[in-house]
Amino acid sequence: MTFAGGLGYALIALGPAIALFFTVIVGKPFLILTLIVSILSWLISLVLIAGVWRAFLPGESNVWVYIPLLLSAVCCQEAARRLFWHVYLRVEDILDKIAVKLSKPRLHAVDKLEIALAFGLGHGLAHVIFFCVALLTPSFGPATYYIPSCSRMSFFLMSALTGLGFLIIHTFSMIIAFDGHADGKKSQQLFAPGMHLFATFATLVNLVDGGCVYGVSATLFCALVTSAVCWKIQWDKTGADPFPSSSLSRTHH
Amino acid sequence: MTEGNILESLGSEIVGIVTPVSICMLLVVLLVQSLTPHGSDVPVASIAMLVYDEQPTDSFTEKLGGAMLNALVFVIIVTVVTFLLVVLFYFRCTKFLRAYMGFSAFMVLAYMGGGVAVLLIQNYSIPIDAVSFLVMLYNFATVGVLAVFFSKMPIFVTQGYLVLIGVLVAYWFTMLPEWTTWVLLMAMALYDVVAVLLPGGPLNMLVELAIERDEDIPALIYEARPNARHIAPLPNSPHPVSISSSASDSAAQATQIPPRWRRRVVTAPPPGNASSAAAAATQLPSNVVNEPVNNQDTVRPIGISALRIESQPQPPGQAQALAPPHSTVVMDGLETSSRTAGRSEIINIEALLEDVAGNGESGVLSAAIKLGLGDFIFYSVLVGRAAMYDMTTVYACYLAIVAGLGSTLVLLTVWRRALPALPISITLGVIFYLLTRFLVDPFIVNLSTHYVYF
Repeated sequence: MTFAGGLGYALIALGPAIALFFTVIVGKPFLILTLIVSILSWLISLVLIAGVWRAFLPGESNVWVYIPLLLSAVCCQEAARRLFWHVYLRVEDILDKIAVKLSKPRLHAVDKLEIALAFGLGHGLAHVIFFCVALLTPSFGPATYYIPSCSRMSFFLMSALTGLGFLIIHTFSMIIAFDGHADGKKSQQLFAPGMHLFATFATLVNLVDGGCVYGVSATLFCALVTSAVCWKIQWDKTGADPFPSSSLSRTHH
Repeated sequence: MTEGNILESLGSEIVGIVTPVSICMLLVVLLVQSLTPHGSDVPVASIAMLVYDEQPTDSFTEKLGGAMLNALVFVIIVTVVTFLLVVLFYFRCTKFLRAYMGFSAFMVLAYMGGGVAVLLIQNYSIPIDAVSFLVMLYNFATVGVLAVFFSKMPIFVTQGYLVLIGVLVAYWFTMLPEWTTWVLLMAMALYDVVAVLLPGGPLNMLVELAIERDEDIPALIYEARPNARHIAPLPNSPHPVSISSSASDSAAQATQIPPRWRRRVVTAPPPGNASSAAAAATQLPSNVVNEPVNNQDTVRPIGISALRIESQPQPPGQAQALAPPHSTVVMDGLETSSRTAGRSEIINIEALLEDVAGNGESGVLSAAIKLGLGDFIFYSVLVGRAAMYDMTTVYACYLAIVAGLGSTLVLLTVWRRALPALPISITLGVIFYLLTRFLVDPFIVNLSTHYVYF
């Protein structure tokens, strides 16, 4: 596709990520490092999954292989999320200690949210980078690509939209999961794996002829639900006063 | 800045060094993608190709054997030139070295920069005439030489030129054939370990000489912008000593330009806090001279590989709170046509640890983290080579290299001695390249083209 088209697809997939990055993360070096660690760990989990399934890649003939593949992939990544939670507890501890030593304020609730956001954004960005952007950038040129089972949208548009959906899902479900673990709420803790599983299996609809429209809609719907749930949880947490001075008056420059 | 969020201050030095490394890699990837997306058709003459000229039609064993021979020759030449550098430094031939450095810097910017510029002009059909091009190139090269020689330039200009030099040299290295490049990278990583960690290694010797003499080792070092909060005036600044060891091979690659050493002043924590700070901070690596100041051992953490800290005796009459000025000398990749001495490695995290160790009030000047330009170059060569396969490998290798860089910093705080920065990053980079190329890429393409995601 043309350069403008390619840029458009990239922005579709990465728009919210870029916005989140430049408003929340860019001013805080620690969050940038968290982001990089998160992306790296997603990549490592991807390498592990690919290592196991490389030999059994499903083709046209054995489509059912996708099911155990996706199941194992989601389990692997949810295990990584659980690991992140434990890492996060340690990190929080260390940061608080350092803050005391440097006579700086301890971690505020907003700070903890931001760290969770950085972790989640890392996962989401990793997904988009490896599944969408990596295939996009070499494809600048005079042609485009369609898949036979989906004649309505080009391959790039499809991957951009799905990438956008998954980015939002990963980002906000990490916040929900961290919140759930912190507060000990089982339902919240199960939301992230549950939504991940649901969204992943929803993409199986794309295998059917003409099903890609429904697949994309399902993914974007999941993204909407995830962000709504996250919003609701945070809204409830801040209490009756929607804009308490303590948490929102700290400027993000 | 008194009250600040911990998230805003912690890690700023690391980010300050990861950013220029990323920019360098990005520029090299862009150059590779636009000019030579499948490798260079014309083999570039270089020392690394003395023994074996790789052809795509050679067999596997031929390529591997030939590449290893090439790498061996390269490493030997690098070692020899590094020892030459040590000898020259030992005999204080500074004027000669300085002059040669300037000449080499100019050659890199003018010759390699000009070559890349010509390729870009051809590729994008940029309308420019030869005379204007020559004038601009000459100006560009001259400003570059001035920027890395004199410290009066705005730091952004110096940083920019250092990154550009790294980009140019790295791009030229990516023109080597594939097998030679990969084996060369691994060989240089190994050489790095040996040269820095073994007592007889040239880099080790160079650093110790510099420490003994209390002199600066000039080298091409990228210096991240310091977050100065309070700088005490320096009683005496050393004159820059330039060392250059450049092989005379004109067809070859980079040279080094010794930057001016900026001395950074770090104020010690007030005596009362010293013990806690010292406890929190890390101790100096063993190869660093640590003179006790203020009647107590204010330990100064030091950076990696061939990093050296000189503590000057405190001038009389100065306040107790002022620490002796430190100059953290980072030895960098003196690159010559071969890769020589003190490359890469050095990362100074003194300031980082200083910062962490806490020192609330009397102003800690966090000295900048310095990373040798050789590191920039080799990281970018790896990523540039990965770009010749696919962008997936580029992202994977980028993450691996940044992870290696970060873990080298962490190891530094644990081991507290000079550490080379190349090995971990290059090894991780190569591993991730192979894994991504053979495992992840087919997997992703399969899933993507069926629109199945997770």
